[in-house]
Amino acid sequence: MSYLRFQAITKRFDTVEVIQPTSIDIERGELVVFLGPSGCGKTTLMRMVGGLDDPSTGQILLDGEVVTTPDRRRGMVFQSYSSFPWLTVAENIAYGMRYRTDLTPAEKAERTAHYLSLVGLRDFAASYPNRISGGMRQRVAIARTLAAGSDVLLMDEPFGALDALTRERLQVQLREIHRREAKTIIFVTHDVEEAVFLADRIIVFSARPARVLADVNVTQLLGADRHLDIRETREFFDLRNQVLHMIRHETEAA
Amino acid sequence: MTASPAKGHAPSAPQNGKGAFAPLFRFRGKAGSAVEAVVGILAALLVVGLWELAARLNLIAPQFLPSPFEVVAAGWRMLTTQSLLYHAGVSTARVWSAFLLAAAMAIPIGILMSSYRIVGAALEPMVDFIRYLPVPALVPLSIIWFGVGESTKIFLLWLGTFFQLVLMVADDMRRVPNEYVEVARTVGANSRQVMIDVALRSMGPSLVDNLRITLGWCWTYLIIAEIVASNSGIGFVIWSARRFVKTPEVMAGVVVIGIIGLITDQLLRALHRRMFRYL
Repeated sequence: MSYLRFQAITKRFDTVEVIQPTSIDIERGELVVFLGPSGCGKTTLMRMVGGLDDPSTGQILLDGEVVTTPDRRRGMVFQSYSSFPWLTVAENIAYGMRYRTDLTPAEKAERTAHYLSLVGLRDFAASYPNRISGGMRQRVAIARTLAAGSDVLLMDEPFGALDALTRERLQVQLREIHRREAKTIIFVTHDVEEAVFLADRIIVFSARPARVLADVNVTQLLGADRHLDIRETREFFDLRNQVLHMIRHETEAA
Repeated sequence: MTASPAKGHAPSAPQNGKGAFAPLFRFRGKAGSAVEAVVGILAALLVVGLWELAARLNLIAPQFLPSPFEVVAAGWRMLTTQSLLYHAGVSTARVWSAFLLAAAMAIPIGILMSSYRIVGAALEPMVDFIRYLPVPALVPLSIIWFGVGESTKIFLLWLGTFFQLVLMVADDMRRVPNEYVEVARTVGANSRQVMIDVALRSMGPSLVDNLRITLGWCWTYLIIAEIVASNSGIGFVIWSARRFVKTPEVMAGVVVIGIIGLITDQLLRALHRRMFRYL
């Protein structure tokens, strides 16, 4: 049985159907990108894994257990407001462990230091979030969820507000972190290029009400190692166009 | 406490006097805080100078507009022989007790109003109604209920501030980004921890700002309360001086309120900066 299962999920807001019956199976350690037109319901699906939204029917199973409420095994990284402005970078990362009673203060300090350097922010440990760049703030949020001990990272367009170069760098770093930490990641975006570069697997959604249009195994086509050069290869280019066509067709239909 | 030497352009201002003042005249120019303070003081002195001039030239009869010098002299007289400090102290104590009472009630109730719809839906219409009642209109009722003692004054001040403040607090709470709450919940915080560790911290700066503004309103209502029913406090001093057309003393009383207000405001701003260094 799969690690994370979406079992016949539907969602309605009042009378509006947002998500058509959807079933997805995700394996442990996969980096899955949910790609679809804006407002299609992909974020809602991801939030259900976090226990932040309830499906109208169906259920989410994580490691065989039904997801009902949020807990620290499933961490969120948002596009904005992702770190607390009143805590320093180090304190923000340590906040991920704040409610854990299984760790001693020394262990917490050690983990904070570890994740601080993992995301390359050791020199900014004592800075407040409004003193660092947007890209650094997103790295703080990623480090916080890792420090919390989340097995699943739920990322809601985390790089959406960043400039192209920063974005590219963070995409590379996220792949690297994913490889090293072996976490299961669901990454929501509407950027096709980002999806193809990051994903082990892309789930392409239709316009609202969401339904799975395609399930693309990217690793099979591009391999697991992603360098920036891959963006210039024929394979990358073809895959990007193929996915782009699916999305474009949907946006016109919507 | 990290030291921040040479904040702004203040230290360089005296050396190149002309250069420091030049940005003041540039569109959207930036000036150092010392330069701005100098401009502020000069402008105030100019106004007082014009006032002095108007009084000296007898442009306006002295019983209407005494010279600044006379007002200061009256203030000194009141300070040394008419226990001005006592009255100022009484007024300040009244303002702070009513303000603290209003704040102690408004903060939890306001937070509950925007956190739980049952509380919000029940209280919002009532609060909105009472908020629009003019405080002076309730003076007679207050005297019937509480007599002319301290409780009337505290009640009137509380009335004027609580209902405004509770809505401001509710609004501050509503503005706490949902992302913060959800981040907290996904690292395992329970409702109480979300409230204390996240919501209160996030709303802190605007809450303290709103408290500072509300404290200013307290002074307005205080003077009304002291004029109507009191034999102590600055409002009482002003009102008794008026009876004998002692205009300099009336104005001195008003100036004292202004000074207390200015000092309090600056202290609270300094506190705000200290509490929220990250801003």
